[in-house]
Amino acid sequence: MKRARIAHHGSAVWAELVDQDNTLRLGNGETIPAADAHWLAPVTPGASIFALGLNYADHVKELGFKTKEPPLIFLKGMNTLAGHRGTTVRPDDANQMHPECELVAIIGKPARHVTADQALDLVGGYTIACDYAIREYLENYYRPNLRVKNRDGTTPLGPWIVDAADISDPQALRLRTLVNGNTVQEGTTQDMVLDVAGLIAYLSQTMTLLPGDMILTGTPQGVHFCAAGDEVICEIEGIGRLSNRLIAEPKP
Amino acid sequence: MIAGNIYGVVLNDRPQLAQMAGDFAMPPYKKPPEAPVLYIKTRNCLASGGGDIALDTGLVQVEVAATLGLLFGRAATQISRENALDCVSGICLALDISEPEASYYRPAVRQRCRDGFLPLGDFSAFDPKRLGASIGTSVNGAAVHAWSPERLARDAATLIADISSFMTLAAGDLLLIGLPHDAPRADPGDRVDVTCDGLSPLAIRFKSGRAA
Repeated sequence: MKRARIAHHGSAVWAELVDQDNTLRLGNGETIPAADAHWLAPVTPGASIFALGLNYADHVKELGFKTKEPPLIFLKGMNTLAGHRGTTVRPDDANQMHPECELVAIIGKPARHVTADQALDLVGGYTIACDYAIREYLENYYRPNLRVKNRDGTTPLGPWIVDAADISDPQALRLRTLVNGNTVQEGTTQDMVLDVAGLIAYLSQTMTLLPGDMILTGTPQGVHFCAAGDEVICEIEGIGRLSNRLIAEPKP
Repeated sequence: MIAGNIYGVVLNDRPQLAQMAGDFAMPPYKKPPEAPVLYIKTRNCLASGGGDIALDTGLVQVEVAATLGLLFGRAATQISRENALDCVSGICLALDISEPEASYYRPAVRQRCRDGFLPLGDFSAFDPKRLGASIGTSVNGAAVHAWSPERLARDAATLIADISSFMTLAAGDLLLIGLPHDAPRADPGDRVDVTCDGLSPLAIRFKSGRAA
């Protein structure tokens, strides 16, 4: 099953995708065409958002780092999220702004002190994130710092959540990013340094993961700098295609 | 109680900035920080055990940094320093607990976001006068630390203005305005009390948790 969160009649509601993803069915049975939906990021308000840096062997090499131990984990606020078919502001001086296609694991049940063997049983579903980075704003303090990774609306997420039961192996999914129709980033979740189960086990050693918490699992190689007006699509096999457009900084 | 994100800031303590000035020129930092150095506390940090906070075996000591939390009543986006405090509606004492870590190079998620690592006192209506009061910390009844937000390199209004230049502090968000670099430490079994004139006090006790 695929579940989306949309704005409908002025409220944020969850809806199920039916009819080959062409229709959204609300809890009350009402249906609306998916083409007309106002998509919101499929997120539980208040959830913690974990993200991984340098978690694909090829991307680590591309950036000139040695594989890091322990994992490079950072956090994001709710302000960063945007829904499918949303827009993201590209600051005028952000000449090195690039998209990062990431598999997102959404926690389904509370997890504390779980082993990697048990971890996937606690995943509720999966979605896609496009975690933009702006390299000009990087500083060497709590890097990647919030000025890079916590800007409003710079993490499109969606279009929907696919139930974990429908993803037989989260470590065998192809993912890629297209900018204006050209592939700029391509990889497979096989290449993750620490896999979904390992990440959940690692985090749950020191904290309780709660239902709705999200883990953005990192991105493969392919650094492509984008311009305002670019259409950016992140797609992951078995999950879907997340679309976003970059816009110029609005002028007062 | 907190509907939004919880943000904190490190390296906002003038004596610490003076002390680390030499380090900032060296790898891995290479130059001093420009933007406020922020971190996020996750919602599990608020998990309550009736004032008891369990420390996993293997954590010998934790740092207990008392500070003020500012609760936003409306959103601050690209706000001026003059208008910044108008967005703040509430204030509370906060004890930001962390595993001691000397490096500021990588986000300290594991060190700062353990369960229960952000006990908060009761909220009061925001009064800017509280920003100048002394914040005292006692461990097992003995006063071990006191500091005032007057030590902050960026005061609360400047901090909010500078943060809001690149991200929104939304209604419901909580901002911890800075940490004293000389914060005391505590062990399992210790009781920690935080007080500040005009604010509801905060009391917690550390107990031993399970082995990791």
